[in-house]
Amino acid sequence: MAGAIIENMSTKKLVIVGVILLLFQAFAFMVGGLIAPSPTTAVHYLATKCVDKPNKPQQTKWFMPWGRKECDKIRSFDEAMAKRIEANNIVFAVHIPLPNKEMSPWFQFMLVILQFDIAFKMYNQIEDGSLVYIDVGLAYRDDMDSEWTEMAHSFEQRKLSCNFTATKTHENEGRYYECDLLPFMEVGSVAHKYYLLNIRLPVNERKKINVGIGEIRDIRLVGIHQNGGFTKVWFAMKTFLTPSILIIMIWYWRRITLMSRPPVLLEKVILALGISMTFINIPVEWFSVGFNWTWMLLFGDIRQGIFYSMLLSFWIIFCGEHLMETQFFETLVLGREELKMCDLCVPAIKIFPEFCCHPTKESQDQTERNRFSIYWKQVGPVVFGSFCLFIFDMCERGVQLKNPFYSIWASDIGTELAMAFIIVAGICACLYFLFLCFMVFQVFRNISGKRMSLPAMSKARQLHYEGLIFRFKFLMLVTLACAALTVIFFIISQVNEGHWHWGEHTVQVNSAFFTGIYGMWNLYVFAIMFLYAPSHKHYGDEQSSGQCITGDGGANSGEDLHLTTTITHLDGPTVVYKMTGKEAQE
Amino acid sequence: MGNPPHHGNQLAAPALYLNMHLPPRTCCESLLHLPFLCPSSLARLPRSRPVSGAAPCARLRGLTPGQVGVCRARGEVMESVRKAAEMVIEECQHQFRNRRWNCSITPRGINVFGRVMNQGTREAAFVHALSSAAVAVAVTRACTRGELERCGCDRKVRGVSPEGFQWSGCSDNLSYGVAFSQTFVDEPERAKGLSAGRPLMNLHNNEAGRKAILHNMQVECKCHGVSGSCELRTCWKVMPPFRRVGVVLKERFDGATEVRLTRIGSRTALLPRDSQVKPPAARDLVYLAPSPDFCRLDPENGIPGTAGRRCNGTSRLAPDGCELVCCGPGYKAGRAEVVQRCSCKFSWCCSVRCQQCKNTVTIHTCRV
Repeated sequence: MAGAIIENMSTKKLVIVGVILLLFQAFAFMVGGLIAPSPTTAVHYLATKCVDKPNKPQQTKWFMPWGRKECDKIRSFDEAMAKRIEANNIVFAVHIPLPNKEMSPWFQFMLVILQFDIAFKMYNQIEDGSLVYIDVGLAYRDDMDSEWTEMAHSFEQRKLSCNFTATKTHENEGRYYECDLLPFMEVGSVAHKYYLLNIRLPVNERKKINVGIGEIRDIRLVGIHQNGGFTKVWFAMKTFLTPSILIIMIWYWRRITLMSRPPVLLEKVILALGISMTFINIPVEWFSVGFNWTWMLLFGDIRQGIFYSMLLSFWIIFCGEHLMETQFFETLVLGREELKMCDLCVPAIKIFPEFCCHPTKESQDQTERNRFSIYWKQVGPVVFGSFCLFIFDMCERGVQLKNPFYSIWASDIGTELAMAFIIVAGICACLYFLFLCFMVFQVFRNISGKRMSLPAMSKARQLHYEGLIFRFKFLMLVTLACAALTVIFFIISQVNEGHWHWGEHTVQVNSAFFTGIYGMWNLYVFAIMFLYAPSHKHYGDEQSSGQCITGDGGANSGEDLHLTTTITHLDGPTVVYKMTGKEAQE
Repeated sequence: MGNPPHHGNQLAAPALYLNMHLPPRTCCESLLHLPFLCPSSLARLPRSRPVSGAAPCARLRGLTPGQVGVCRARGEVMESVRKAAEMVIEECQHQFRNRRWNCSITPRGINVFGRVMNQGTREAAFVHALSSAAVAVAVTRACTRGELERCGCDRKVRGVSPEGFQWSGCSDNLSYGVAFSQTFVDEPERAKGLSAGRPLMNLHNNEAGRKAILHNMQVECKCHGVSGSCELRTCWKVMPPFRRVGVVLKERFDGATEVRLTRIGSRTALLPRDSQVKPPAARDLVYLAPSPDFCRLDPENGIPGTAGRRCNGTSRLAPDGCELVCCGPGYKAGRAEVVQRCSCKFSWCCSVRCQQCKNTVTIHTCRV
């Protein structure tokens, strides 16, 4: 592929385009930092201990911790001992949200984490490897007077991993263990206003259920959901970005179809990148406000996975295409003996010796360049790694569509399976980056080799190569800048508290990270489609050049077009070439 | 004092103060200005309906007019204040179980902890700090259980609940608890004016108690981004367990600074009595008067003395060893037959099935 818009743009225009994109980027950061609130909220709940008296006739199956029909409560378990209440009659009740508040579909999801407050007692310690068996029910209703409707019911088990930091003596009885957070529940949409959780810990000594789990004093839950304000800002951003990317994509494809030649592999990959970006941008989440679609969370994960795979494939195909193009051209002219190989250029040939000195392979190379299948070694890890993560996500979030209380980390087999998937995906990622670094290294070696022999070439080839090199370096620079910015902001958002105070304004750093990075990759795809679209400014001028290579006709007409389009723009990008450190030296 | 059900410890003594039910004749007036030590009057308050009107609040003896005002405005919180009192007694007795003054409760008299609270000693400083922390913790826990109507959404970024909650979530319940503790527990001291020594000391110690909670919060995080990655991470702060607050305040008690009231210009402040000691930080405890000798029985001041206290005679270095707890006359050993619970079957709560075992143990007690 040659003659992209970026090579034919004057410096002034390129700088203007750059400044406009930077302005949009800054705007994306500011929208997140100044308008949106923090991405998520964590709300604490302390379970109320209700008593389920077996001899009392049950009017309601659901125990409500406060309000008009609140249950019979006990304050602490010492009271239960005095009143002779059994462990099997205790129900922990939690109402989400707290009084006078309502849940809203703008919260997008509800994630609940469980923590036990277990006191140390010499004669009732937590045994190693003990499991807690939880009998939990979830109900909902939409106003304070109606009945509760059951949404889910499950009998779950979780592994208790607690440790006691002080010495285990009588002195330290009553101090709490330090227990890990237990994943409890994940609901992919918040369709109702009020939710109720009833948790039981049934004891069965014969079957060893809930035996040896220490002395539980309290159950604490933390409910996490996305802030409504953040959701609204996010939706607005997606709604704004979707038509922008669609328009540039349609423009790009029109330019490709207007060319007389069929589209090359790289152009198709860029279009695929645009399609995957559009797929992420389409604001299907607006429907979650009206409908109860619990699969939204999983769907979002899949969309992001497709985009990342596409982006990684694009990088490696871009490198590969530029690598082979430089080598192909060189073998072509060497084979025809129009140029002699400089001594300095010999090492470059040693990389791919099969491309040297086989003039009959020209046409074969031409067709080979455009095939996707030669990249199987590089794109393979990307596809396989994404597939592993997809299976992992289906196992976790997919099953949660049926049972919100399911967690793959709850059982030993599940944990091992999950770790296996993640490790395989990690290995694939490392393999991919090794390939990518190696290819980039090869291209740079080619470039430096090419630069030595540049002055000896004719003007046409010189400009052709300069165009290729500039195109490659520009994309490398921009991609590295975007990736570095992503990593820096990710680290800042992990380490930071989440919001900075600046005078009387609060800047939400976490929200700025999300909106800024999302906007940045959109602008990146936008810039690629705009700058790497084929330029057909002088598309009808094949006859006017003076440096045509007369060849075998059909198979070589492709290169004629490549050469002519660069010749006619002699003075255009030379200043920019100097910027990227290219200088033709005598 | 009836034996409360305890959890099968070998020695009955350490569990003696657990689950102690307050004797019903404890007077309601308390120089701590906490009316919760009068459970009968608070029990008359209807449980789930807020206290409205002046009558029920005015009936609680021991409240200053300002506190009655708070009671009237936020009546449902009084139940938490009562719970805070129980927490204070239990924690104080746990922390001081090996010391000569073991935070004992006097069955009659004006002050629950004895007149030793009147004197501005270290012990008074500890109890005040602990009470202030306990009120904050109890109110926060009540908020987290949903028992209080207005929590955590009083001060916010955008508007009052529920719109503010839907836009950006609510602030922590702990801020509400701490604010209530400041309003309620500090109120009597402020009413007395800030130019006397005792109110200033109490205010400083109350604030030290609240700071003990705020400086011991732990941060916990959960990653829940794409495929469970840390792309999206939510962190929150967890309140420390009350036992930890007790441990921290006990350390501050051991390092408390003796101060006296000094005049600086037009203001009065508490500065160290020893000028070489640096001024106390907000987290430290301060006291005005040295502690009395807790060895001898002094019924006027409500000091029970160490006579008859159980101690550990087997080990000299144990923290509850007889050498440390008993005073001059020393201790004596005796044998007693104790019926204890043994081979208990425990569950995670509630029912414990035990057998009775008879044991002969050696008990050491302090001499008069």
